[in-house]
Amino acid sequence: MFMISLIGAAAAPIMVFIGYLDYMAKNPGKPVLFSDVWSDTNLYVTLLIGTLLYGVITAYLFIREYTEDTMKNLLTIPVSRIGLIASKLVLLFFWIMILTFVSWGLILILGLLAQYEGLSVGVILQSLKEFVIGGSLLFLLSTPTMFVAFLFKNYVPTIIFTAVITMGNVAIANRDYKAVFPWSAVHVIAENSYVAAYPPFYSYVAIAAATVIGFVATIVYFKKMDIH
Amino acid sequence: MTAIIKTTGLTKKYGDQTAVDNLNMTVKQGQIYGFLGQNGAGKTTTIRMLLGLIRPTHGSIEIFGEHLYAKQREILRRVGSIVEFSGFYENLTARENLLINASLMGVHSKNAIEEALEIVGLQDEPSKMVGKFSLGMKQRLGIARAILHHPELLILDEPTNGLDPIGIKEIRNLIKALAEERKITILVSSHILSEVEQLADHIGIIHLGKLLEEISFAELRQRNRKFLEFQVTNDNRAAMLLEQHFAITDYEVHDEGIIRVYSHIGQQGKINKMLVDHQIEVTRIALSEDRLEDYFIQMIGGGKIG
Repeated sequence: MFMISLIGAAAAPIMVFIGYLDYMAKNPGKPVLFSDVWSDTNLYVTLLIGTLLYGVITAYLFIREYTEDTMKNLLTIPVSRIGLIASKLVLLFFWIMILTFVSWGLILILGLLAQYEGLSVGVILQSLKEFVIGGSLLFLLSTPTMFVAFLFKNYVPTIIFTAVITMGNVAIANRDYKAVFPWSAVHVIAENSYVAAYPPFYSYVAIAAATVIGFVATIVYFKKMDIH
Repeated sequence: MTAIIKTTGLTKKYGDQTAVDNLNMTVKQGQIYGFLGQNGAGKTTTIRMLLGLIRPTHGSIEIFGEHLYAKQREILRRVGSIVEFSGFYENLTARENLLINASLMGVHSKNAIEEALEIVGLQDEPSKMVGKFSLGMKQRLGIARAILHHPELLILDEPTNGLDPIGIKEIRNLIKALAEERKITILVSSHILSEVEQLADHIGIIHLGKLLEEISFAELRQRNRKFLEFQVTNDNRAAMLLEQHFAITDYEVHDEGIIRVYSHIGQQGKINKMLVDHQIEVTRIALSEDRLEDYFIQMIGGGKIG
C-alpha cells in the first residue's frame, strides 16, 4: 500500500511536469520558474490528488483492522481505544509528510532535468513551507474521514466521502467560498491566497472546526461502539 | 475455589431483541468450563462482553475478583482469548504477527514466541505468510497468540470452528494439556456437544440468551439415569406388555422400535424372555445412561441442535 501511495504522490508532479513540457515546447526560450511549478503542484496536491489520496490512506489505516478482523484482537491485548486512534494518527501524519516530500522532491528532480530557472535557497524554503503547511492541514482534516471510516467500516463510503470533498474543492476553487470550505481553505492558507470577503480567521476556524468535530465524533463513537 | 469469572444479571439488548438475558455465570479457578448452546444462543455475545468488546445493557462482570470496567486493562493483561475466527495480518508471517502482539503485551522474552509456536506445532512454518495458512493453522496460531503472555485465564470462543476431525482433536488435546500443565482456567464455548463432553469438567447451558443451568460433569453423571434399551419389532405391543407383565410405567418409546426402560435395571433377561414369548422379536438389548445430548435436548425443550 505504501508503494502504491508513492505512485499516487508522484501523480501531481508528473502531471504538472508534462504540462510544463508542453508549455516549453510552445514557448521556447521562455523561462519556467521553480516557484511557479511548485505552486501549481501544491495546488493539485492540496485540492485534488492529496485530498483523495490521503483520504484513501486514512481509510486503509483505520478500516483494515475490520477487514482483517484484527480489531477484536488488538482491543483484548489490551490496547486502549484512544491509544489505537492516536497511534494510527501518528502513523498517518508521517505517511502524509513522506508523500508531501515525495511530491515536492520530484519537482526538484524533474525541474533540474528540464532546466527550470529561479532555484534558490529562498525559493526552496518557501515552497517547502507551503507544501508542509498544506500536508499538515490535510492531515488535520483527516479526522472527518476517520469518523466516516469508523461509521461505515467499509472502503467504499469512505472513498466516496473523499471524492465528494474533492469535487467540492473543484467546484469552488475560483470562488470566494474556497476560504471557508475547510479542504479548499488548506490551499488558501498554504499559498497565502486569502480573499477579501473572508479574512484568514475564517479559514483557520473552518479547518479547526472540521478537525475538532471529526476527532471528537470519532472518539465518542468508537469508545461506545460494540465490536462484533 | 475462587471464582475467576462472575457475572451478575448480565444482559445485552439490541433494540427489542434480548441477546443475553440476566445471565449469572460463575467460572471457578482451575475449571475447564464448557459454555454450551445452539448457534445464536448468546455465547459469543456473552464472551465479547467478558472481554470488553461489547458493553452490557445491564449487569456486572467480575474477573479475578475485580469489576471489569474499573480495571479493564489490568484484567485483560491476564487473559488470553480467541473470539470466533482469529484475525491476522495476512501479509506477515506467523512469527511477525506474534511479534506485534508480544510488543503490545510487553512480552520481551525472545523464547516466548518460539515456545508458543512450538506448543501449537507451527514452529516449522517460519517464512510462510499467514494469508497462505489453512483454517486449522490460523486457529492454532490464534491459540499461540492467546497463550503468548502466559495468561491465567483463557477464553476461547468456538476454537474448533471450521476444523476437520483431526484438527478438532489436536485443538482439544492442546486445550487439555494447557489446563493440566499451566493450571489455566479455561472458558470454552461451543455448539458441538461431543466436543464439550470430551473437554470440559463443568458446563453452562445457554439458550435464547438465558443460562439454563451450570453443572459439573461429575454431578451430571450422577444425575443422569441408567436405562435398559430394547430394540423391538413392534414397539406399541412391547410397551403394552411391559405394563401388563412388569407394571413398568417409567419408559420412553423412541424411533426405530427403541424402548428405554428406566426401572427394573438388571432384569433385562426376564423382560427379554417375556417379549420373545409373546412373539416380539428383540434385535438389541443394551444398558446405557443419558448422554449430554439427551440432557441438552431436555434442557432446551427439544428443537434443533447446532
